[in-house]
Amino acid sequence: MTSKTQCSQLLMDRLKTFSVKHFKKLVLVFALISFGFNGYAQPDGEKLFKANCSSCHKATDQKLVGPGLKGARGRWGNDDAKLVKWVQNSQAYLKTGDSYANNLFKEYNGSVMPNQTVSADEVKAILDYVDSYVPPVVVTNTPVAETSGEPAETNWTYIWIGLGLFFVILIIILAPVRRNLANSAQAKQGKVYNPDASFWSETKAWIYSHKKPVMLLGFLVFLMLFVVGWNALSGIGVYEGYQPEQPIKFSHKIHAGENKIDCQYCHTGVEKSKHANIPSANVCMNCHKYIQEGPVTGKGEIAKIYAALDYNPEKGTYGPNPKPIKWIRIHNLPDLAYFNHSQHVKVGGVECKQCHGPIETMDVVQQFSPLTMGWCINCHRETEVKVDSTNLYYTDLKSKFNAVHPGEKFTVEQIGGLECGKCHY
Amino acid sequence: MSKELKYWRGVEELENTPEFTKLKENEFAEQLPMDEFLGDSALAEGKTPRRDFLKFLGFGVTAATLAACETPVTKTIPYLFKPEEVTVGIANYYASTYYDGHEYCSVLVKTREGRPIKVIGNEMSPVTLGGANARVQASILNLYDAERLKGASKNGAPVSWATADKEIGDKLAAIAGRKGKIAILSSTIISPSTTRAIEEFTTKYGNVEVVQYDSVSYAGIRTANALSFGKEVIPTYHFDKAETIVGIGADFLASWLSPIEFASQYAKGKRIAAGANHKETKLSRHFQFEAAMSLTGSNADLRTMVKPSDLGVVAINLYNEIAKAKGKAALTGRSLGKVDANIAKAAKELIASAGKSLVVAGSNNPDVQVVANAINDMLGNYGNTIDLSVANETKKGNDKAVANLIAQMNAGAVEAVLLYNVNPVYTLPNAKDFSAGLKKVGLRVSFAANIDESAAECEYVCPDNNFLESWNDFNPRTGEFSLGQPTIAPIYNTRQAQESFLVWAGNPTPYADYIKATWQAKTFPGSGFGSFTDFWNKALHDGVYSIGGGLAVETAPAETVAPAKVDEHGEHATPHGRPQAEAAAAPVVAAAIAADPAALSTAAANLNKIKGGAFELVVYEKAGLGNGSLANNPWLQEMPDPISKVTWDNYITMSLSDMDQFKFNTINGQEQLSNVAEVVVNGVSIKLPVYAQPGQAKGTIGIALGYGRTKAGKTANNIGANAFPAVSINKDNGHFEYNAFDVKVTATDETYNLAGTQTHHTMMGRAIVKEATVDAYKNDAKAGNAPILLALSDGTKDTPGNVNLWEDHPRLNHKWGMSIDLNTCIGCSACVIGCQTENNVAVVGKDEIRRGRDMHWIRIDRYYTSDMTEKKAEEEGVGAIKKFLDMEVPSESPRVVFQPVMCQHCNHAPCETVCPVLATTHSNEGLNQMTYNRCIGTKYCGNNCPYKVRRFNWFKYADNPQQFDFHMGDTLGKMVLNPDVIVRGRGVMEKCSMCVQRIQEGKLTAKKENRRPIDGEIKTACQQVCPTNAITFGDLNDESHTVTKHIKEPRMYHLLEEVGIQPSVFYLTKVRNVSESEL
Repeated sequence: MTSKTQCSQLLMDRLKTFSVKHFKKLVLVFALISFGFNGYAQPDGEKLFKANCSSCHKATDQKLVGPGLKGARGRWGNDDAKLVKWVQNSQAYLKTGDSYANNLFKEYNGSVMPNQTVSADEVKAILDYVDSYVPPVVVTNTPVAETSGEPAETNWTYIWIGLGLFFVILIIILAPVRRNLANSAQAKQGKVYNPDASFWSETKAWIYSHKKPVMLLGFLVFLMLFVVGWNALSGIGVYEGYQPEQPIKFSHKIHAGENKIDCQYCHTGVEKSKHANIPSANVCMNCHKYIQEGPVTGKGEIAKIYAALDYNPEKGTYGPNPKPIKWIRIHNLPDLAYFNHSQHVKVGGVECKQCHGPIETMDVVQQFSPLTMGWCINCHRETEVKVDSTNLYYTDLKSKFNAVHPGEKFTVEQIGGLECGKCHY
Repeated sequence: MSKELKYWRGVEELENTPEFTKLKENEFAEQLPMDEFLGDSALAEGKTPRRDFLKFLGFGVTAATLAACETPVTKTIPYLFKPEEVTVGIANYYASTYYDGHEYCSVLVKTREGRPIKVIGNEMSPVTLGGANARVQASILNLYDAERLKGASKNGAPVSWATADKEIGDKLAAIAGRKGKIAILSSTIISPSTTRAIEEFTTKYGNVEVVQYDSVSYAGIRTANALSFGKEVIPTYHFDKAETIVGIGADFLASWLSPIEFASQYAKGKRIAAGANHKETKLSRHFQFEAAMSLTGSNADLRTMVKPSDLGVVAINLYNEIAKAKGKAALTGRSLGKVDANIAKAAKELIASAGKSLVVAGSNNPDVQVVANAINDMLGNYGNTIDLSVANETKKGNDKAVANLIAQMNAGAVEAVLLYNVNPVYTLPNAKDFSAGLKKVGLRVSFAANIDESAAECEYVCPDNNFLESWNDFNPRTGEFSLGQPTIAPIYNTRQAQESFLVWAGNPTPYADYIKATWQAKTFPGSGFGSFTDFWNKALHDGVYSIGGGLAVETAPAETVAPAKVDEHGEHATPHGRPQAEAAAAPVVAAAIAADPAALSTAAANLNKIKGGAFELVVYEKAGLGNGSLANNPWLQEMPDPISKVTWDNYITMSLSDMDQFKFNTINGQEQLSNVAEVVVNGVSIKLPVYAQPGQAKGTIGIALGYGRTKAGKTANNIGANAFPAVSINKDNGHFEYNAFDVKVTATDETYNLAGTQTHHTMMGRAIVKEATVDAYKNDAKAGNAPILLALSDGTKDTPGNVNLWEDHPRLNHKWGMSIDLNTCIGCSACVIGCQTENNVAVVGKDEIRRGRDMHWIRIDRYYTSDMTEKKAEEEGVGAIKKFLDMEVPSESPRVVFQPVMCQHCNHAPCETVCPVLATTHSNEGLNQMTYNRCIGTKYCGNNCPYKVRRFNWFKYADNPQQFDFHMGDTLGKMVLNPDVIVRGRGVMEKCSMCVQRIQEGKLTAKKENRRPIDGEIKTACQQVCPTNAITFGDLNDESHTVTKHIKEPRMYHLLEEVGIQPSVFYLTKVRNVSESEL
């Protein structure tokens, strides 16, 4: 439900040719501006273009639903009056028998341009904007590390390593000097000077004379290695933070974060099935039939969807050679574990981000949770079952539970959430 | 015996050298090759080698561990265009129909992500009543048979369809041009559209003859009905309406005519409803006269062993008994000795329940059928339990037409033969004549799915799609239609046979459209639907469509609530949505025509002529393999025969006393080899091992059909021997005769190892299956179910339920339980395959079965009664040893009981307490859980299980085609696996989980819909496919569930209750409709 409203909202915003609501907003904006300046203001061509035209036309000469507006003035013989009439009521204008307009109508297979309630001045402002429009330079090949990592941290590590190396070299250089100095000092005091004594034999002698601190140090080093080793071993097979590069640089940050598309708009199975579903490419096309260019990667990545579907964005037709998109799976549970999304999301009311983290901020999705059995069990131990009075599955159960275990928390564990056979079969 | 023998530990012990005596004291008596092991001088002296060894060990272990931990990158590939009806992870069910010319069943096909994984019965079908037997369920595996043809073939080499069409089309045209004869040899065609397509083909090529041929013929019934009533039909039978049933050699629960339907009907007469007053119990009474122990005979209340040559006389004598009472003229019969007493008894009861009784004969000899018709007519059964106005269309084979075709082929009068859905070279008794004739035919085309015995002798093979890849329509009985729809696109480059006919007839219409056109013209008018699309969608959704006629049929099972079927759009279908359902309840049609008396006396005269020899042979069908068309199916091959419990083979069944005369080994076991005998029948020699079958009439043997395939595929080839050559053609009436009256049996020196899953056949006086007679039950509802009492330390006695070693745990949420009604379980083994399909149970092969390593999660124990009982031993003063030895031997003519046994989910489970790693634990819903990923394979649990229901994975059964070359060994075969259940690896224990995946799914659905699970919503796989509804599953904490009613029944008992382990599964005692004197 939410997904649908989200969807329609999005489409409204981006695709609908004209909406009264927007017009009202627009009027309000103008009214405010006029009050503010208390005088006449030039219509803002860019705003008007984005509000009224951009869902079907581009400011360049590329086709979208309709032709690109760049050079439209020239094509219409530099007669703004004709264009204003056309924009305000294209069907009526067609009847005037204008050959260019009629040809255009035929070229676009008789698809009607909706009537726009814009004034002649506004049309002019839009055309002025289009004439002055320069497409932004598209940044391609945005490296992942630059956007997500923090470069300062990396630099500090190198500095530390460099410093460390420097000191080690210093010690190596200075050690013989120190030894010679010490020897000569001892010789002066008349002690036996053993010029053959190696560094190693001296160290050994030193260790013998400082047994306790060395043992303590040794123990500490062992402990440290043990802990490090233990952690390393227990991390085997845990892919927290796994962030593979996907065949299409799909950004959840743009879709879920900036455009606020509901998770379920694409991941439709999450309330119905064990799988949340990776959306099929036809879901992408709901929007990307119209949005052919993105703000970060431009056309390149969106074109990969078209390539997969063998879709021709110019003609709007699907070809006979679609190729499936081979995404890299991030969240891998072993076959022996059964997990069901709908149980957690629909019944348990768990938020997506509880396990998947701040997806809406991730350009490249990474595995947020460890997905270990301990992690599952911990949550089952702590989470209280959400007993909604309308869910008859749980209401009686809760009262029965309270009668047997008064004062205890009604957690997932209590209804068998830790049992082996709930997930392993 | 063993005491007298001495086994030496080696030559040394035999010679008893001094060295040996010294060494004997050591742990290892032999000299251990220590020097050899330490021979490396470096090893013996050195310090470094040991250190190196440790270094390498350490490095190796770490490297191996880390290497093993490296997870490969997993790709995930979503749909490009997701079909609207598919939700990944959720199954879709499509109604379809299985019909292979032998068995008809309306089915639902479960698909996951577009791949069919399970076939179950369609409860909306008034023909098959929601049942699906083992064969129908297992048929899905033949879809994923990697040995199917990948495309059209010519003389064994692949050929493109275009070339094949061109060549066949040209040849057909040439034949038609010279008015040559084209013959289509087909199994029974019940498809209106197929008939139409063949008609188009006939129109184009002129001289086309369609010969319908059933591998197991029922032409005798049709002929008999033509003789008796002038109607050449097979009527519909209503076992549910019959109070007295007499079967004369008819195995109607396993193979005869329409076993799925009959099993369901039969169970209605045997069911005692939960909560019913036991004093008013009314059960049907079933007499069976037969030679070999059939599934039907094993369920009979009174079974009488009769030689096949006497079966006709049984019918005559039965007729005479009834005629005597009705004052009609008797036929010529003869005395059958002891058998006559039971015939008289049957006659008396038939008369008492006249109009509510049914006599069926299994013979394909029209003479026997004519007498049976006359009996039913005298009893007024026509119009009540037999409906001649509604014909069973599924068996229309014409034996004489087949013989005629073979003669014409041999005479060179046939120029083209098209084999559709038949394998005559394997199934014809006179296959040699057929093969000889086939060689004289110019154009030979087969539509077989693989190059089978017949297709190998054809020039062209144009492989037909599997039924799960096909569109089809069927008219299995008058007024009933069903549709078959594809649930997967053709896996290989195969083409539906009907489309081939249409292409050759010059009609390029896709067959789906062709069927639609047929239905628009034939069934749509008068359907009451506004538009054809609505009508079509409804029919396709339901899978079945009735236009009415015949006796009213109850579709819903008597006791359980019919579950809502979810259709492909996720909507709940209404079970009574058929607009014609009410119209179908047409008035009972009375039989207007009386049986022809002239035909009757001729028949009786013919039957009296039949004389038996020293040995007589019954050729029968097994519940698993049937006629052998699905033989290349590892599930069916491994399914234990319901009676003998032997897998992977056919054999000669013989009575114990006959075997003793031959000095054959009568015990079947891992180490006991069966003797091989040679049977000569019709001049054909068949060599098979001999199996001791209690209940086999003396002087008779039985051999099952369906085995001895040579070109079916790797699973089926060269298993057992083909019994079709033992079928004869009756010289008088031209029908196939499945009994041979004089065969020669000779012993050979050979032995053979049969693999059976049950080698002990009696209950040894223990109350494992509890049973009572109906009279005893009427008097006392707890008859046969006396409580077991345990002696306590304080001198008192108490029931096991009250004696606890462990604390009880509260079951606050659910308490799952299962009841098994032994009164309605007929032992058909449909549940075995249902479970195997659902739970990815591995096929292990004959050798493993022989070692007792079968993997079936549910087994059906079959017990025979013994002549020796505790009571008899006490009365006759028989000593303990002799008593127990005698108790092991089943009676010559035993009573039989079946008991499905799966994990009993004990609440105080002995397996759980012995597991050292807690791999098997108990859930708070009462399930005994098995966690494979924890299991380390100690097998302690299996040893401690009193029911022996735990199964160990001795080998890697999946992905191991070198050793276990079954469906789990190849990529295609694995498509059948249920994605919700894991495939177990080597070294872990497994067992019945009570279909926990279904329980979880059902609970989740209920939670999402804010309610508790309703009765019948969650069904285990075994319960779902049980044709007799003997298994009920549900929540014992919920009063509205049927299982909760069952547990309160006085008939309720737990298996081995005295062990005190409180199982969640319970049984309901068998109440046999016999008097005490008949026991």
